Amino acid sequence: MKERIGVYICHCGGNISDYVDVEKVRQAVEHETGVAMARTTVFACSDANQNDMVEDIRTHNLDGVIVASCSPKLHLTTFRNVTERGELNKYTYVHTNIREQASWAHSDDKEGATDKAIRLVKAAIAKSRYAEPLHPNLFEAEKTIAVIGAGIAGMKAAASLADKQTEVLLIEKEHRVGGHTATWGPLAMSEESGSALTERIYNDLLRRENVTIMNGTEVISSKGSIGNFTLKVRKRPLKEGDPVETAEFTVGSVVVATGFDSYQPKEGEFGFAQSDNVITLPDFRHLIDHAEGKELIYNGKKIRNIAYIYCVGSRQTNGENSYCSRFCCTSAIHASILAKKRFGKINNYHLNRGIRTYGKQELLYAESLALGDLYLQWAEETPPAVVTEGKKTTITLRDILSANRDLELEADLVVLVTGMVPRADNKVGTLFKLPKGRDRFFNEVHMKLRPVETVIDGVTIAGSCQGPKNISESVNSALSAATKSYSLISKGTLETEPIVAEVNSDLCSWCGKCAEACPFDAILQQEVGGKMVAVVNNSVCKGCGMCAPVCPPDAINLINYSSEEIMSMIDALA
Amino acid sequence: MNEEKKIIHYDALVVGGGIAGGEAALNLANSGYRVLLVEKERSLGGKMILLSKVFPTLDCSACITTPKVSEIARHKNITIFTESEVTTIDKRSENDFVAQITKKPRYVHVEDCTACQLCEQACPVSVRDEYQQGLIGRKAAFIPFSIANPKAAAIDIENCTLCGACEKVCPTHCIDFTMQPEQFELHARTVVMATGFNLFDPLEIPRYGYGQHKNVITSMQMEREIAPTRPFNTILRPGDGKVPDKIAYVLCAGSRDASVGNPICSQICCMYSIKQAQLLMGALPMADVTIYYINIRSFGKGFEEFYQQAKGMGVSFVKGKIGTIKEKENGNLILRYEDISEGVVKEAEHDMVVLSVGVKSNPDAGKIFPQGALKLDPHRFVAQTDLMGSPAKTSIDGVFVAGTASAPMDIPDSILSAGSASSEAISYIKQHQEA
Repeated sequence: MKERIGVYICHCGGNISDYVDVEKVRQAVEHETGVAMARTTVFACSDANQNDMVEDIRTHNLDGVIVASCSPKLHLTTFRNVTERGELNKYTYVHTNIREQASWAHSDDKEGATDKAIRLVKAAIAKSRYAEPLHPNLFEAEKTIAVIGAGIAGMKAAASLADKQTEVLLIEKEHRVGGHTATWGPLAMSEESGSALTERIYNDLLRRENVTIMNGTEVISSKGSIGNFTLKVRKRPLKEGDPVETAEFTVGSVVVATGFDSYQPKEGEFGFAQSDNVITLPDFRHLIDHAEGKELIYNGKKIRNIAYIYCVGSRQTNGENSYCSRFCCTSAIHASILAKKRFGKINNYHLNRGIRTYGKQELLYAESLALGDLYLQWAEETPPAVVTEGKKTTITLRDILSANRDLELEADLVVLVTGMVPRADNKVGTLFKLPKGRDRFFNEVHMKLRPVETVIDGVTIAGSCQGPKNISESVNSALSAATKSYSLISKGTLETEPIVAEVNSDLCSWCGKCAEACPFDAILQQEVGGKMVAVVNNSVCKGCGMCAPVCPPDAINLINYSSEEIMSMIDALA
Repeated sequence: MNEEKKIIHYDALVVGGGIAGGEAALNLANSGYRVLLVEKERSLGGKMILLSKVFPTLDCSACITTPKVSEIARHKNITIFTESEVTTIDKRSENDFVAQITKKPRYVHVEDCTACQLCEQACPVSVRDEYQQGLIGRKAAFIPFSIANPKAAAIDIENCTLCGACEKVCPTHCIDFTMQPEQFELHARTVVMATGFNLFDPLEIPRYGYGQHKNVITSMQMEREIAPTRPFNTILRPGDGKVPDKIAYVLCAGSRDASVGNPICSQICCMYSIKQAQLLMGALPMADVTIYYINIRSFGKGFEEFYQQAKGMGVSFVKGKIGTIKEKENGNLILRYEDISEGVVKEAEHDMVVLSVGVKSNPDAGKIFPQGALKLDPHRFVAQTDLMGSPAKTSIDGVFVAGTASAPMDIPDSILSAGSASSEAISYIKQHQEA
């Protein structure tokens, strides 16, 4: 039982103290049983306060620490580490959230918010009294790292890892490396073509001895967790009749770099698939990259007037893809300039929803304007109508830039500027149970604090599988993911949270309900003492607690959330 | 000047202790390299530590920055020099860089200072507080700001009258006017340039009346007004202390504008303005907020949704670039603009105007290396010599660029860019390591 608990109530610089009377909270809890000291602080997470906490632990001889502040998602680890620096067991630290749960949720009711904060802190004190010291589970980590996907991002991640003296497996589903970029001609903001860039990065990768490149190979299953993932891969036969080979590898960490799909317009979307004159941006890129001669010919027809319709499959406020694909404005403008410079006599009409050539890409937009390209802008509510009669395609639209005039233009070719969508083939995501964001791309833990990590420990995300990106942004993300994956396992010994489920095998008679409830496949059936029981794999278990309530004989307990602790918290809340 | 030059050795020199430099230093340190992080200001954290909340998640900026800064400050592989300047860096050969560093005197022994603020109370000199963007004053003996790291007093020697009042009240006797600049010669194997950006100076556009019209402020000043560590307890217009109820944002103030020598887009202003508008709607529920824009560039993850959310909250978006801003006698402002969607020139009255100032390069980065060895781009950002294949590479092998030193970018992109720079720096060290 803890008898000398220190309680810190954070203002969060106003985020909490604007609505919660933090001084009142302090006064309400300072005489609670077991509380040795209670104080308020403007920013509990600041370095100065962290140092004060370490000092307090020593001078007040504290045996328990509570911070009432933000979500534990943000700072549980921060304060556990402070507790540890004060030479207390870090798992005895108790975090309570009075920001999201009190001040932000009840900003219209200051008294209510304060009262709720007091109860939450009292509940935390109740839990703290029973908090037992725990020790992380330690195990040896495999030092090989797998990179899945050998596009630009995957290849760069592999090279970065190899330079850190790590064995790397680079696994690519296709029979060639380079992903989308390998098929592209001249790139925006560069003198190089996509294919040349791919080749350069690939050759650079080949100089490294510790990279094994596996083309035409799919990951078909994954078992285990950080430090010890067992990946089963299958080599796709190059031609029919070739044997299907499978192999197994153990890796410590995985970088997922599975890339994106191009949005495929639906039939009839801006005349797509109803007229030969309507194509997508990737089709147009292919056309101009491979065109010969001085004229742009498509379907046997000379192309003069090209209309580009932007945001096809992107920025659909109430549609499937509400996000902006970020690369497409620049990419379309770049392609239109290429076409104009190469074939002359081309008239470009850009039917956009506000051009987003951010940063230095703005110069491309300026160049296009200087070349005489016309920009027309439409609102989402009044999309352009594309009508093809015979060989003639006409577009009508209401143009914001000419005071909402209704305009009509004839185009030889209509280019639908399509964005990036998540891979339709989500096998890799499913294998690792990677969570997705609202945009259905893989989601990072925290955009700023942990931008390449996922909630699955040991699995990082690189490049456009996390969200639309251009090449240089993908490379930055890939190198960050590689560095993170490396630092996760580089020490060789890994710690995992001791807060896991434990099964009382005397009570368990294996019904399988817990295994069904477990979202992480952490529960296995095993024979213990002559009968089949549930066994928890500690390195996979996340301590989410889903298994405990479904267990009919109540044989599962969650460490750190004992009945004693929970019941005393409920009593304090009441 | 202290004659004795100290010779020091580290694996990596990181120039700039903002979020990009800090992230790069942490990555290197976590991979086992010893890092010297040099920051010219009195605190780590760069511009981010001074922000209110950050888009598109509305996380409190201090809540992300301060613990990160704390982690950097405590890391056993990182040494921090604040108030220090890297004057030159010479590359002698691969993995052999020699930098000259001047550490300016703070006139306070940081390790003894308890940040009790008694010196601040005793100091008779008041000057504008640069950390609060000049909205209020500070003393010449002062704690830079409440979440500064290191959190210790400093003496602003430029404005100090040497009256000695601070010295007399200091309970730990940590104020020391005899402190001298210190010179260091650093030997490092690689360099990461994370020298950040400068904000566009709105005085360059006289027709917007910044500095003339009292209620025209910059977005960074508004950032301070809505930050947790804000100077006032509410949002006030500086002219008369009135709480504004009709606020205008002028986007592209100094961006996408060749007439002020900055033709590129600053990439962050649309989003921070939308963020501020959302926060203002929360802080001043009765206020109207209008954003005057050319194009809204909400291109990052969750950004477009954030923009739509602002529209849903009632923020007005008017497509039109502001031509001029005139001041009325009551301090209100008349904005003249072309309303693009109607094709007519209009005027609108607001009681406070925020100029969404853009990102300019910090050309200091180029001055550190002899004879222009570190190439800059036409906008005087550090040139990226392999933008597609290795975005962190510069014209000098072994010198890498992180964050906004190379181009305008938002916080998530700066952090990824820092990850990239540190990864390249490690690869470079390993590549040239003697076998």
